[in-house]
Amino acid sequence: MQEFNFLQPENYREALNLLNEYHGKSKIIAGGTDLIVDLRKEKYTDLKYLIDISKLDELEYIKEDGEYIKIGSYTNHKSITKSDLVNKYAKILTLGCSEIGSPQIRNRGTIGGNIITGSPCADSVTPLVALNAIIVIESKEQKREVPIEEFYEGPYRPKIKANELLKEVYFKKLDNSYQGDFIKVKRRNAVSKARINIAALGKIDQAGKVFDIRLAPGSITPKPQRFKSVEELVKGREPDNEIIEKMGQKVAEIMIDKSGYRWSTEYKRPVIRDLTKRILKTVLEVE
Amino acid sequence: MQKIEINLTVNQRSYELKVKPNKRLLDVLRNDLNFTGVKEGCGIGECGACTVIMDGEIVNSCMVLAGQARDSEIITVEDLESENGLHPIQKAFIDAGAVQCGFCTPGMILSTLNLLKENSNPTRSEIKDGLEGNFCRCTGYKQIIDAVELAAEMMRD
Ligand code: FES
Ligand code: FES
Repeated sequence: MQEFNFLQPENYREALNLLNEYHGKSKIIAGGTDLIVDLRKEKYTDLKYLIDISKLDELEYIKEDGEYIKIGSYTNHKSITKSDLVNKYAKILTLGCSEIGSPQIRNRGTIGGNIITGSPCADSVTPLVALNAIIVIESKEQKREVPIEEFYEGPYRPKIKANELLKEVYFKKLDNSYQGDFIKVKRRNAVSKARINIAALGKIDQAGKVFDIRLAPGSITPKPQRFKSVEELVKGREPDNEIIEKMGQKVAEIMIDKSGYRWSTEYKRPVIRDLTKRILKTVLEVE
Repeated sequence: MQKIEINLTVNQRSYELKVKPNKRLLDVLRNDLNFTGVKEGCGIGECGACTVIMDGEIVNSCMVLAGQARDSEIITVEDLESENGLHPIQKAFIDAGAVQCGFCTPGMILSTLNLLKENSNPTRSEIKDGLEGNFCRCTGYKQIIDAVELAAEMMRD
């Protein structure tokens, strides 16, 4: 394990000050479930200080604020899966977080950590993309907000500066006319990282037409994103099996387009096509 | 690398220690405090051999830095036996033949303890979910699940 000095700020402000002071030489540690693996591999050559936020209650919350749900970055996956608010207004996030790691990992790993690690297969990020979540980032001097879809340059590359801290993620509450689902395909049944995951939300209007559809397939493109060109195929129309078939095909095409043809493509292509179809049938209520 | 001072409670006894900040809770428990029931398997959060209860929740002690455990309350498997003998979960593991080499057993038992605290009558599939983070390299899963069912029964009576 590489060496570092360990700093434990008393409050959130102090954490921002430390990040500012040790700019470029420090890293934040939250639940540690990803970072400690990297520290063991001695991956961070410039690291001199670890700033531990695991004692900052200020960053641990799930709250309702008008039409939004706001989640502090140091909120672990178990708290999210147990939250009535999340379950009621953003069920797909409950589903995603309950698929993460193992009970031990869910007790320590945090939503902020999952977002910052930026693995293309992060089980909380895919639902957050479908929820159009906004990320709140703060440094000593300023605060900014970014839609989660714009937060990544590529796999494991979040756009955050060395003096910035992820404070919160928030999204609009969904009313109960939304149907949502999250599906994950894994290699084994436990502790696995997702090989492919997908989150979707759909809302059908009174006339039986698609009012809103959000389709976020995870881990098949370098950056997490909604597949808007696929969503357009069904928006404003009455959904049926034929359109859904087309949408499934198109998702597979886009995957190959964005990620290139790889050894795993032969496997992933039919899987992602069929997963897309399955999840669309659920959220658009097609038999 | 400056040493840090930490205060923590393990199995109801409190300790004050000075440790290097790159030590993990696992290292402190095993090497400084000699709780060797805590095992190191994978070291990367996948096998659960290093499971302990920290402030009421199971965690992988290889995934917690010593400094992060400051002021927390830790329970290891050594805490389970009392003057009345072995804990019902320990008895159940023996009776059900759920211990082969025994390497995974402390972690399995602590995960079982917390599982049964939350759910005193789990189904087999709930048991599998509760022990999802604990691997048995001897692959005696059937006996382990039997043991948890047996323990649940013993603890309900
Ligand atoms: S040694 Fe900690 S999870 Fe394997
Ligand atoms: S009994 Fe050997 S690892 Fe489980």
